[in-house]
Amino acid sequence: MLKLDVNNLGKRFGARAVFEDISFSLECGQSLAVTGPNGSGKSTLLRLITGLLVPSSGKVNFTENKKKLDFDQYRKRLAIVAPYLSLYSSLTAAENLKFFAEVDGRRVERNDIDNLLAEVGLDGRADDFVSAYSSGMLQRLKYAVALLKNPDILIVDEPTVNLDENGKGIVRDIISARRKNAIVIIATNEKEDYPLADNICQLGGQGMGGR
Amino acid sequence: MTAVIIMAFTMPSPMSSEFSLGPVDAYRIFYFHVPVAWVAVLAYMVAMIQSIRYLRTKDIIFDIKAVSANRLGLLFSLMAVITGSIFAKLTWGEFWNWSEIREVSIFILLVIYGAYFALRSALPDREVRATMSAVMTIIFAVSALFLIFILPRIYPAFSQHPTDSIVDEQGRLTMSPMVLVIFSLSMIAFTALFAWMYSLTVRLERFGRKVISR
Amino acid sequence: MPTTSVNWAVRVWAVVRKDLTTEFRTRYAFNAVVMFAVVTLTMISLSLGLNEPSKPVLASLFWVVFFFAAMSGLAQVFVREEEAGTAPILKLSSSGSVIFFGKMLFNLLLLTILAVVIIPLFIVFFETAPANWPLFLVGLLSALIGLAGSTTIIAAIISKATVKGALFTVLSFPALMPLLVAAVEITSVSFVGGGFEEILAPLQLLVAFDVVMITLSVMLFDFVWRL
Repeated sequence: MLKLDVNNLGKRFGARAVFEDISFSLECGQSLAVTGPNGSGKSTLLRLITGLLVPSSGKVNFTENKKKLDFDQYRKRLAIVAPYLSLYSSLTAAENLKFFAEVDGRRVERNDIDNLLAEVGLDGRADDFVSAYSSGMLQRLKYAVALLKNPDILIVDEPTVNLDENGKGIVRDIISARRKNAIVIIATNEKEDYPLADNICQLGGQGMGGR
Repeated sequence: MTAVIIMAFTMPSPMSSEFSLGPVDAYRIFYFHVPVAWVAVLAYMVAMIQSIRYLRTKDIIFDIKAVSANRLGLLFSLMAVITGSIFAKLTWGEFWNWSEIREVSIFILLVIYGAYFALRSALPDREVRATMSAVMTIIFAVSALFLIFILPRIYPAFSQHPTDSIVDEQGRLTMSPMVLVIFSLSMIAFTALFAWMYSLTVRLERFGRKVISR
Repeated sequence: MPTTSVNWAVRVWAVVRKDLTTEFRTRYAFNAVVMFAVVTLTMISLSLGLNEPSKPVLASLFWVVFFFAAMSGLAQVFVREEEAGTAPILKLSSSGSVIFFGKMLFNLLLLTILAVVIIPLFIVFFETAPANWPLFLVGLLSALIGLAGSTTIIAAIISKATVKGALFTVLSFPALMPLLVAAVEITSVSFVGGGFEEILAPLQLLVAFDVVMITLSVMLFDFVWRL
C-alpha cells in the first residue's frame, strides 16, 4: 500500500516563512485538494512533496508497505502537471513524449504516442513544434507527459488553467480515473475543481487542518 | 589563550641571526608566515570535514561550521600570501615566483576561498546554498591535492624555497634549538588562535542567522 | 502504456540526442563557443604582430584560447534547462547518473567540435603545427575528457545561481588547474617534437585526474541535481 506522510513540514525563503508545521498523510486511493489565497504556499507545498524543493524543516516520506521509498523509487511513479514546468519548445510534441519515455527507461512506438495525444485531444498535432503550441494545448501536452508514466502519485497544480470547456472535461476524466487507485493532490482555487478530491484543506490565514 | 598569543608575538625578536641568507630581521616574519599558512590549510581541512557531514545529515549546523572555517581560511590565506610576498622579496629579491610550489599552492588556496564565497553570494536559497558550497568544497580539495602532486613532477627543478628555512636537501631540520622552540610555540599558538576564532565565528554565524530569520 | 524497459546506455543516449537536436535547431552554445575562439585567436595573433613566440608559449596560448572558449559554452547544458524551466520535469524523469553522463557526453562532443575548429585556425594564424601529432592528440583527448568530466557538475551547480557565466569560470579555474598544467606540458612537448617518454608523467596524472574527477562527480551529482 502506497502512502504519503508529511510531518511538520516548513519552508522559508530567506527571512520569510511561507508556512510552518504542516502535517498530513494520504494513502493510495485518497485525494486532497489544497486551496488558499495567492502566496499562501500551495505551489511550494506541492513542490516540496514532489521533491523539487528541499524543506527548511520537517519531512516528506513516501512509503510502500511501511518501507520508505527513496527519491529514485518514487519519482518513477510520480507525475506532476504545473504551470511552472516547461517542455522542450524546440522539439515537437512527439519528440518530447519520446524523450521523456526513453530517458525514464520506457520504449514507445509511434502509435502509442498518437494514442496518448488523442486521449488529451491533440490528435494530428504530434509533429508541431511545442513553441507553436497555445497555452491550452501546452497544458494538454503536460497531461500527456504525465500519463506516460501511468502514475501512482499524481500531483496537479491548477488543473484546469488555460483550458477550454472540452479541455476541462478531459482533465476531470483523467483525474477521476486515477483517484481510485492512486494518491492525487491538486492545488486549486476553482470551486468547480473541488469535487475532484475527497478532502479539502485550506492554506494560509488559520492553521492547517487537512486530513 | 591570549597569553600564549602575546608570547608568540613578543618572543621572536631576540633570535634571528642564526640564518645564513637575507637580512637578519627579515627572518622574524618566518615565525608568522609559516603558522599562518598552516592555519589556512587547516581551515580548509575543517571546512571539508564539515561539508561532508552536511551532505550526510543535511543539518544546517554543519553548513554554519563550514562557512566559519572558510571565513577564517580566506583571512589566513590572504595573510599568508602577503607575508609570503614580503618574505620572498627580502630573501630572493622578488615578490612572486611562479615556480615555487608552496607559493603557488597557497595562492590557489586563496583563489579557492574566493571562488567559494563568490558561489555562496550567488545562491539565494539556504538549503541550495549549503549543498552546492559543500559539494564545491570537496571538488576543490581533490583538485588541489592533484595540483600539489602534479607540479613537482612536471617541473623537477621546482623548489627554490625553503631548503634552508625548515628542512635541508636531506630533509633534516635545519633550525637551531632556540628558533625551533619559538617556531613550535608559534605554530601551537596560531593553531589555538584558530580554534578560538573558529568557535567565535561559529557562534556569531548562528546568532546572525537567528536574527535574520526572525 | 508500454513499459518495455530500455537499458542504461539508451537512456544516456536519449539525453545526448535530445540536446544535440535542440542545439542543432537553436545553436545556443555552438555559436558562442566558436565565435569566442575566433575572436580570441584573432586578438592574440594581432597583438603579437611580427613577434614570434616560442613553442612552449604557443602551447600555453592554445590552452588559454581553448579554456575560455570552452567556458563560454560548457555551462549551457544545465543553464538552458534551468532557464527554459525544463529542469524540474527532467529531474522527475530520470536518475541522476543518466543525466550526468548524457550531459557530459554532450559537452565532450561540443569540445571535440571546438577542437576541430580551433586547431586548423591555430595552425593558420601562428604557422605552427604539432611536430608530433599522435602525442598532441592523445594529450588533447585526455584533457577534453577531464574538461567535460569535471565541469559538468559545476555547470549544474551554477545553473541555480543568480549570476551564471562569470561564476562558472571562477569555479572551474581552480578545479581545472592540474588538468591545464598537465595539458600545456603535453602540448608543449608535442609542439617541440619530443618523444612519448617525455609526457609520461603528465599523461599519467591527466588520466588519473579524469578518472578521479568523473568518479567524484558521479558520487556528488545527486546532491546537486535533486535540489
